Amino acid sequence: MTQGPGASRPRPFPHKRVAEFLLRAEGLTKVYPDGTVALSGVDLTVRPGEVLGLLGENGAGKTTLTKILSGLLPPTAGRILTPRGPVRFHSPKDALRIGIGMVHQHFALVDTFTALENVALGLGRVNFSLLRKKLERLVAETGLRVPLDVPVENLAVGERQRVEILKVLARDVKLLILDEPTSVLTPVETAELFKFLRNLREQGKAVVFITHKLKEALAVTDRIVVLRRGKVAGEVSTKETTAKELARLMIGVEVEPGRRPVELSLEAEFSRAAAPGPKGEPILMVKDLQVRSDTGELAVRGLSFELYPGEILGIAGVEGNGQTELVEAICGLRRVEAGEVELLGRKVTGRPPTELYRLGLAHIPEDRWKYGLILSFTVTENSILGLQRERDFQAAGFLRARAIRGHAARLVREFGIQTAGLSAPAKSLSGGNQQKLIAGRELSKDPKVIIAAQPTRGLDIGAAQFIRELLFRLREEGRAILLVSADLDEVLALSDRVAFMYEGTFTGIVRPAELTAEAVGLLMGGVKAGKG
Amino acid sequence: MSWAYFWSLFSISLHAMVPITLTAVGEVIGESAGLFNIGLEGILLLSAFTGTLGARAGGPILGLLMGLVTGLGIGLVFGVICAYWKGSQMIAGVGINLFALGFVAFGLQVLGSPGFYTVPRDVQLAPIRTSVGSFSPLIPVALLLPFLIHWFLNHTGVGLRIKAVGENPEAADVAGIPVELTQLLSTAVGAALAGLAGAYMSVSWLGSVTKEISAGRGFIALATVVFSGLRPLLALAGGLIFGFFESLATWIQSLPGVKEAVPWQFISMIPYVATLLVVAGVIGRVRFPKALGVPYRRE
Ligand SMILES: Nc1ncnc2c1ncn2[C@@H]1O[C@H](COP(=O)(O)OP(=O)(O)OP(=O)(O)O)[C@@H](O)[C@H]1O
Ligand SMILES: [Mg+2]
Repeated sequence: MTQGPGASRPRPFPHKRVAEFLLRAEGLTKVYPDGTVALSGVDLTVRPGEVLGLLGENGAGKTTLTKILSGLLPPTAGRILTPRGPVRFHSPKDALRIGIGMVHQHFALVDTFTALENVALGLGRVNFSLLRKKLERLVAETGLRVPLDVPVENLAVGERQRVEILKVLARDVKLLILDEPTSVLTPVETAELFKFLRNLREQGKAVVFITHKLKEALAVTDRIVVLRRGKVAGEVSTKETTAKELARLMIGVEVEPGRRPVELSLEAEFSRAAAPGPKGEPILMVKDLQVRSDTGELAVRGLSFELYPGEILGIAGVEGNGQTELVEAICGLRRVEAGEVELLGRKVTGRPPTELYRLGLAHIPEDRWKYGLILSFTVTENSILGLQRERDFQAAGFLRARAIRGHAARLVREFGIQTAGLSAPAKSLSGGNQQKLIAGRELSKDPKVIIAAQPTRGLDIGAAQFIRELLFRLREEGRAILLVSADLDEVLALSDRVAFMYEGTFTGIVRPAELTAEAVGLLMGGVKAGKG
Repeated sequence: MSWAYFWSLFSISLHAMVPITLTAVGEVIGESAGLFNIGLEGILLLSAFTGTLGARAGGPILGLLMGLVTGLGIGLVFGVICAYWKGSQMIAGVGINLFALGFVAFGLQVLGSPGFYTVPRDVQLAPIRTSVGSFSPLIPVALLLPFLIHWFLNHTGVGLRIKAVGENPEAADVAGIPVELTQLLSTAVGAALAGLAGAYMSVSWLGSVTKEISAGRGFIALATVVFSGLRPLLALAGGLIFGFFESLATWIQSLPGVKEAVPWQFISMIPYVATLLVVAGVIGRVRFPKALGVPYRRE
């Protein structure tokens, strides 16, 4: 069901509602320079006053489609129509001119600029004090709180996501395209964003919303288009569909043999043995840890915890409460101000990452472009990043090409990474497939301790389920996992114990089963739990 | 040391500062947008020569203008090759240097004075005469320009956009900033300043042009840019340091007995070596635009 435009908007042809559209794509086809066919003959109509969901598995072509609609990529064939006729975008500038703005899956932010400057960038002549006022109003309206005057590189991924959204909102666009905006937002932030999107809809604007979370798609959209392997697999009205139907459309009717049933993950249900409880000696110990953020403030303020073999310790909390700094400090990527980190009984405070990796630490970083991948390197090269010194891959100073390719091929097969080939650059993988590559590489290291920050970020339900099950299996094998995620459902479902982080300390470490929704809210908001 | 002698050293410092500073602040603009022009040396040489031609034809102002336009032209060609055609910046820059070497050697030949040409006095830029000596009018320009460019890069919308393009061209593109055009104009303006610096050397400061007139100043300017971390005011500091050591070298050469003991070439090396040492020694954690030197492609 599409809703009519808001009353304030003049409607020239009140009876011809069918003809009304904001943007229409016809027969869009995209063939990337390396020959990958990302889209073939896609038709899509966006109407004013609707939130259109765009779903599809990793690599289905969602990002490619929206990049074309926002002018960043030219289509190989097909055309784009506005009510005024066909348009040709030569750059995002052309699309912005007619009111189409996009929030990208991989942030398009200038790292050294502040949030304010990043927002100002696209606006032409700006008056900074006016812009600040406008932004403060937007922040209040949307609940997307960000520090405006800190270079964005010093912000956590979730905060950067908020800047990215604010940047487009500040432009007063008619069509807002959001490519996985919620993958690093907490449930509360997501809810506020949805409120705002509904608001836009009331004003007769349109939103194209990409997500892998069916729950979200069902909650906020009016209509859903599902892409599969570059083609439109189906279009449904949100009111008349179910998560099951969507999943079926995404994967295809014939569920391939060996493929896990998707419904399993919909409710985030997991079959697992009762929490084994701490066994033996802690494998990772953090004592009175203090870490500064890039801006020099104490981001981690005297944190202590122990991680035992065979457990998953989850860290929940709103992004920007020190999670990033904590993880970086443990992984040797950030200076420790005070306190200690002990890995396998050894003091490793301030040791370089390579040494920690050799001891058996694996790290799935939250920022996959900063620490996870070298974008211009091939899939094969990326598959052994950090492992290049291993005996399996190196002999007498030379890399063993055959062994490495074998390893890469195994990852691609096991983790279902979609790629044009082992020598394709990591840049050419879709967002979810990049994530699979990193997660696959780290989890196949035979690690003793796994630090997983947003491990399923951007993964489709099948792939996310696969990673979660793998984490379970690793835990059952007696490995220890520290899980940091903005996805509260995920943390609660996976963890044996959950720590809530607020302003650099834990407000409590509890067992998920003992939690009520109310308690979660309080703990996230900084209210200390009765017990530590 | 007499006052007069001190002032003459001071004057050498300031005069030697000008080409380094102009070239370096120009390059700061270009590099801020992500283009790295190793051909500055060639631009200095070429425009020193064309500046002379301009001065001969229509006086010193036309000479300076010719230098400026020469730099601008080369900058535009360089920008088209590197920003639009995604050519290698290193190769394009080396190309400029090689072209300049050949062209100027040939040009001097045609002027009838292989290797050396003196710019007639009456078409040299008239110095500003003060009670303590005479100074080129470009000295105040070189002293003020860095402040102007500092303000431009850090406090204007255009400056913000230039830096965005150098830091993250994709982000700039998405924000609707024309990446290639911004790069082209930034590097062209930078090259034009190098052109002005070249013409200054022949038409104002030295009053002559030789095959070796640029004498590595383009490369010192590049080093200064590195040292400055793309901050125009530090680029000025780099220019002043070089100027200081150049006058120091002059002073050392004038000391009794030095000329006989040390070949002059070694003394002329002082400003270069000293500048490089200072520049290398002072560099702390300078940051460069992430996309510096990398051609931007959308897919
Ligand atoms: N620059 C590129 N060069 C070559 N192939 C590419 C490039 N970008 C994407 N592809 C390919 O195009 C296909 C579609 O990618 P796209 O990024 O649109 O997927 P997506 O639906 O957004 O997936 P995800 O959910 O993982 O983000 C994939 O097979 C991908 O490998
Ligand atoms: Mg995508």
